[in-house]
Order: sequence, then C-alpha cells, then structure tokens
Amino acid sequence: MKISRSEKIFNICNILLMLFICVITLYPYLNQLAVSFNEGMDSMRGGITIFPRRFTVSNYAAVLKSADFLGALFISVLRVIFATFISVVVVYSCAYGLTRKGVPYKRGITLYLMIPAYINAGVIPVYILYRYLHLMNNFLVYILPGAFVFYNMIIIRSFLQELPASIEESAQIDGANDIQIMFRIIMPLSMPVIATVVLWVAVNAWNDWTTTLMYVTERELYPLQYLMMRLIKESETAQQMAVQATMNKGAAIQISKPTSESVKAATLIVTTIPIIMVYPFLQKYFIKGVMLGSVKE
Amino acid sequence: MAGIMSSPWVGLKHFKTIFTYPNMLQAVGRTFIYGCVIVFGGFPFPIILALLFNELRNMKFKKVVQTISYMPYFLSWISVIGLFYSFLAIEGTFNQIMAKIVGDGYEAKNILMDSRYFLPIIFISHLWKNVGWSSVLFLAAIAGIDPSLYEAATMDGCGRIRQIWSITLPCIKGTVIIVLVMSLGSLFNTNFEQVYGFQNVYTQEQTEIIGTLVYRQGIENGKYSLSTAFGLCQGVVTLFLLITSNAISKRLFDSSIW
Repeated sequence: MKISRSEKIFNICNILLMLFICVITLYPYLNQLAVSFNEGMDSMRGGITIFPRRFTVSNYAAVLKSADFLGALFISVLRVIFATFISVVVVYSCAYGLTRKGVPYKRGITLYLMIPAYINAGVIPVYILYRYLHLMNNFLVYILPGAFVFYNMIIIRSFLQELPASIEESAQIDGANDIQIMFRIIMPLSMPVIATVVLWVAVNAWNDWTTTLMYVTERELYPLQYLMMRLIKESETAQQMAVQATMNKGAAIQISKPTSESVKAATLIVTTIPIIMVYPFLQKYFIKGVMLGSVKE
Repeated sequence: MAGIMSSPWVGLKHFKTIFTYPNMLQAVGRTFIYGCVIVFGGFPFPIILALLFNELRNMKFKKVVQTISYMPYFLSWISVIGLFYSFLAIEGTFNQIMAKIVGDGYEAKNILMDSRYFLPIIFISHLWKNVGWSSVLFLAAIAGIDPSLYEAATMDGCGRIRQIWSITLPCIKGTVIIVLVMSLGSLFNTNFEQVYGFQNVYTQEQTEIIGTLVYRQGIENGKYSLSTAFGLCQGVVTLFLLITSNAISKRLFDSSIW
C-alpha cells in the first residue's frame, strides 16, 4: 500500500518524539553513572554529561568499603528475602482458603479483610501501636506489618477462581487428600500469579525507606534506600551551608567535608542497579499484575 | 499513654486547634491543590503516550521504547529525588542548559531551594516516574479494539490521525473514564515520600502538606493527639472521595472496587 506524504511526516515526528522520551528518561541516570565513574574533585566542577571526564573506580571502592553501606546492603537483602517469603505464604494461604468450597462466610471475611486496605487511622495511631508491639527498632517491622496486602490477595484469589473445578475433583477421585491437592495440584498451577506477587513484594521491600524513617532510629537497621536518603539530604545541607558561606563572605564558616557527589552517585547506582538489571526481563509479570488487578471481582 | 478508659476526655479540643492553626489549614489546602494538579493535570499524558506507542510500526523499536519508559516506575522515590537533585544542582545539567538558552546574563541557581517551583517539580517528577507505566492499561485497552474497524476506515480513506480521533479514542473511552474516576480517591492523598523527599530547609514551611505535617508534629515533636486528629481528618475525606468515586463508577459502568 502506498504511504501518503502526511503519514510519513506523522511517522517521523512520532519516532522523534519517542527518541526524545528515551533521552529524557535515560539521561539523568546515565549522567549519574558517568559522575560515579568520575574523580570526586573533578566532578565538583560540573559539566559532566554521559561520559566520565577522569575515569576512576575509586568511588565504588569507597562505597563498597564503607561499613555503613555493607550493613545496609545486608539489611536490604535480608529484608527482601524474608518479607517476600512471609508475605507470599500469608497472602497465598488466605486466597486459597477463600476459594475453597464449603468455607463459610467467605464474603464476610473478604469484606473484613478489605477494611484496613481503605480505612486507616493515620500515621500516629499506627506509630503508637507499633511501639506497644515492640516493633520500634526491630527488624520485624520490615516484615510483619506489610505481610498481608489485600490487593495481592485479590489477585491470587481471582486467579484461583479461574482454575476449573474439575482439576480438583479428578485429583480427589484419584485419592489425593486436601494437603496433596494444595501442594501438588493447585500450587504448581498458580506459579505465574505467585511469581507476579513475589516480584511486586520484593520490589516494594527493596524500594521502601519510609518505614525506617518512621519507626527505626538504630543505625544497624538502616536499609540501603534509607542510607541514600540520608546522603541526599546531607549533600543538600552541605549546599545550603556553601550558599550561606558565600553570602556572608567575611565570616568563614567551616564546612564539614561533605560526601562527594561522585560517591553519592555511586551509592545511587549500586542501590538501583539490581532493579534496573532485572525489570526488563520481568516486566511481563508486572503487567500481568496490573491486568489481573484491573479485572475485579 | 493510659488507654481509652483512663485517659481524660478532651472533647473536640484538638479538632478545634486544627481549624485555628493557620499552618494546618494551609496544609489542607495545599494537599488538595497538589492532588488536583497531579490527578487532573497528569491524566492525559499516559493516554497520549499509549496512542503514540500504538502508532509505532516497528515492533522492536516499540518494545525498546516502552521498556525504557517503564524504567523510572521501578525506581524508589528517593532514587528519583536523588536524580532530580543532581540534575537541578547548581553545577548540574539543568543550569548548563539554561545558561546556553539564556546566554551570558544567566545566574545559576538551584530551583529546589525556591518554594515557587515546588509544585512544578512535584508535577514533573510525578510524570517522569509514572507516565510510562500508567500507559500500560490504556495500551491493553487499545489492543482489544477490533482491527476490522481500522481496515474499514482505511478503505474509506481515513488518515492515521483521523483513525486515532474517530476509532481509537472512542473505543478506549470507557477505560479512560474508569481510570479517571478511580484516581479521584487520591485527590486528597498526596504522596508523602515524594513531598518529604523534595522538601528542604528553604522550602519546607511553604510546602507542608498534611502527611508531612503529621509526621513532623507527631513523630518528631511528639504531639500525638493533635496529629492524630489531623491525620484522621485526611482519612475521612479520602474515604469519602473513594466511596463517591466508586458510586459514580458503579452507576456509569457497573464496575466497582468492592
């Protein structure tokens, strides 16, 4: 078919626009990547685009050697593993139970579980509650409160409801008991939806830093994201002090040596790289989660 | 704390304080304004993006662009804020570009330290992070359109833009309205992570929203009762918005979140 002139112009404009979107999406990240591979003192001059000016890996060496960083990495990894495992066990068992025949009050239980998903008393009552539960400055605060997510439960439940009832019936005829039906029949079949939920929970656990902001003050329990938040805020304070120092030139203010931009960039890269590496291959699972979630009840 | 039975009853004291304390009233107004700008200002962009994705004919290119556009969604807010901080820093890229555009007289400044630019930064960072991912639902809706409609339109001599306007948009109208109605619930629920992350000493006072004020007054300053009352107000309004938008969507499209 002949492509008309206006269509050609439209195509070119569209492709250019898409390239522009790619550039503005990737540029800030590539810029940080370049800064992280650049010498710290040299980065202060600015003007680095997407290639380092004076290549060095010393920033990464500094990051990977720091005890704070290693501790936070340990906490983050531990947290992702435990939070994901426990959350999936809790959510899956709940969804499984709510799809069994003969379980009474299914609708009532679902409604009851839905309440906290939409109504909560706010930050402070939760804060007080956690304090009484001794969750403050406790590693469990990363795992227990977020273990049950109503939305994830609904996703698994709607998947299980779609499975034909005849599968279970034929297993029963073959002599499988309830435990065998769950672990050997239904669970292998629901692996796609479990994978979806595992990924959501893991990414959220890796990315979360507000839990630490609210409930944790002990340094040993800081995860990576929180450490990075401190770095960003710290460099901002340093900038403010520099501005003030130039304002009142006479009074020379002693500025404590801030973490260099390059080390900060290296931290940011190390913190985000697991997700950047992984998400392109897993996006179909994430998209599946959105689709399942949008088809409700 | 003494529990319900033995605590003194103070009536509506703390709720009264909220309405007499100017800072808090301003925070309420600001929360609402930020919410409106993000919900109403932000919602056309993913739709436009989905339409443009759909017009790409090279499947490989389309896949690559889509994957790239999803990237910021998977980063944490604090990483996004870190990227913005260095992009907007005095020696950062933003100031270099501005210096090129404006010319010699340009004085480099960090716009993150000026509260006038706070809302635009919140809006743009929200778009940057979410626009790609938000287009997923619309793309799915577009994929569900019957291809014979396009064939018939081509026979009748419709151009591409005409096809978007007369076929694609009407066909995804339902999805668009549902997504919009559902997002009404977040009108009064501005993202705490985002606002807290972008605040600094210079802008904090002029950019306080309910969430950040509750955090500062409650957890940092220990005013539990006052901030509980304040947070509760937000919870009630949000719930009201959610029920309203759900009722609308139930009446219009027979689809409900519960």
